[in-house]
Amino acid sequence: MTFYRNLTIRQKQIAWAWAFLAVPVLFYGIIRFYPTGNAILISFQDWNLLGDRTWSGLENYRKLVADPVFWKVFKNTFLYLILGTPISLVLSFIIAYQLDKVRFMHSTLRMLYFLPFMTSAVAMAWVWRWFYQPVPTGLFNNLLAQLGIPQIAFLNSTTNALPSVLAPAVWAGLGFQIIIFMAGLRAIPVSYYEAARIDGVGWWTQLTQITIPLLRPTIVFIVVFSSIGFLRIFDHVYNMTTNNPGGPLNATKPLVLMIYGTAFNDFDMGYAAAQTVVLFVILLIVSLLQLRLLRSE
Amino acid sequence: MAQLALRNLVKRYGSTEVLHGINLEVADGEFVVFVGPSGCGKSTTLRMIAGLEEVSDGVIEIGGREVNHLEPKERDIAMVFQNYAIYPHMSVRKNIAFGLRSSKMSKPDKARRIEEVAGILSMTELLERKPSQLSGGQRQRVAIGRAMVRDPSVFLFDEPLSNLDAQLRTQMRLEIKKLHQRVGNTIVFVTHDQVEAMTMADRIVIMKDGRIQQVGTPDEVYHRPQNTFVARFIGAPSMNMLDAEMSDGRVIMPQGQAIQLGGLTTAQPGRITLGVRPDDLVPVESDMLIQGKVTVREPLGSETLIYVDTPGGEIVVKADGRKPPAVGEVVRLGADPANLHVFDRETGMVLR
Repeated sequence: MTFYRNLTIRQKQIAWAWAFLAVPVLFYGIIRFYPTGNAILISFQDWNLLGDRTWSGLENYRKLVADPVFWKVFKNTFLYLILGTPISLVLSFIIAYQLDKVRFMHSTLRMLYFLPFMTSAVAMAWVWRWFYQPVPTGLFNNLLAQLGIPQIAFLNSTTNALPSVLAPAVWAGLGFQIIIFMAGLRAIPVSYYEAARIDGVGWWTQLTQITIPLLRPTIVFIVVFSSIGFLRIFDHVYNMTTNNPGGPLNATKPLVLMIYGTAFNDFDMGYAAAQTVVLFVILLIVSLLQLRLLRSE
Repeated sequence: MAQLALRNLVKRYGSTEVLHGINLEVADGEFVVFVGPSGCGKSTTLRMIAGLEEVSDGVIEIGGREVNHLEPKERDIAMVFQNYAIYPHMSVRKNIAFGLRSSKMSKPDKARRIEEVAGILSMTELLERKPSQLSGGQRQRVAIGRAMVRDPSVFLFDEPLSNLDAQLRTQMRLEIKKLHQRVGNTIVFVTHDQVEAMTMADRIVIMKDGRIQQVGTPDEVYHRPQNTFVARFIGAPSMNMLDAEMSDGRVIMPQGQAIQLGGLTTAQPGRITLGVRPDDLVPVESDMLIQGKVTVREPLGSETLIYVDTPGGEIVVKADGRKPPAVGEVVRLGADPANLHVFDRETGMVLR
């Protein structure tokens, strides 16, 4: 105790700070960084989960580059990102922008939009899967049939499947993005718009010159956040295509699902780890790029 | 000709009436200040003139035409907001140019106008800066600049100085007044600070609870307040109010002194309030008005405020800063009868 008492105030503060930091440091070390390091290590090895790990050098990466499925999956993953992020951004902004002006049942509407975000992805995926079924089961095809429009093979067509799987994923994320956008909109002082009204500028100028520039930090946050989400898409795909995960013909398969299949169906841990490292690098590059592009002028 | 006229202006939110019929005419080039405690309706009135709030009843005329149903931009007004409302992501030049966005002026004309305004406000060298690089006073000037480029027939200021520190406020007060003298536009200025109102206004409109209490020059509202509210609100420290009785055309003070006052509008005996400003009270040997014991002294340098405990309540006296009476001393105070204000104690209205 005398040792502690003899410390300066600054040294005592440091001692306490480290005492509190020790818990998360330990947690992150064991739960996050150790497995990450281990995964990178395994990516250079051959391992079937039970047997010995044997060194294989860059063999897993060479196999990956030569694997046509990997390139298909790589393309799918970016399709989810390139379609999902802008669509959900625009949709959530439009809804938030309009919802912000509504006084009548405002909280109820906001709650309704937030509801999908709280719902389990599994339940949601199965409900949407049911929507997509052919007549007489599926909601969408029933509606089309009533209007006399030919049936659409939502989940069984290689061209339609990916957008069909993406739709519920976008829908599920909307609630969260709307809440964030509305908070951003609320933070803009009303007097900015009043001043604009006195200056006589129209709503389009107000939107493009005032609202959107002032929402920039919010937009950066949502873009980065939803991009990471779409790059890691898994549960919606897996649950909507359970009979043939990622099908038809790998048309909907994202990288995470491929990693899952390689690891727990093929028990090729080295190969799965190599894919994980690639995903990690992609996520890192995309996030850094977006931060760089959107943050500074 | 009246540049701005309000006729029986009423504002209701649902069933709550917050403005109960405001009547006012503002002449071309006049500097009018609305002053009153918060919630008195002064800002609402200004926002109705600007077109940011709907008119529930009555008429607003600007430049001789009714503007009740015109959009803010069609009213030929400009407004400076309390938080300046300058856009943080635009340079000073762009912020000022925003005021001209909907104008039909040619581009070179707009640029020339912006330079001209920047020159008047002496901020030509600040034009390329962002608002975050400006001081509070400079931001205030940008907001004024944005209003000025439009060359409106009426300028509206909504408590523009309340976000500034005391020293800067005094400085900006002077700058706005100088600007008005140079440019000569009609100005309607809202504030809760009576010092701002007194120093800047050609005419002051004192409001309370959605009603105008008095309209007049600073001199008029200070020396001839129409009711006890105006008497107390204008002037710092506030006017002393003493309960007294009136009988036989004389005012009987709480300690029994009787004063003969001329010019009373009524000779009815009854309960009155006698108002006397702290600066009008002086220590006297004879013809005493009231006496009491000094409880606190507040030295302000050139003068000292003396708080005196009297049977009529605590009163404040401005005494000479060099030889103020000591705490505990009993002082006899008198005043020139011409400087006494007599109010009806029930209605608060002035009686002479």
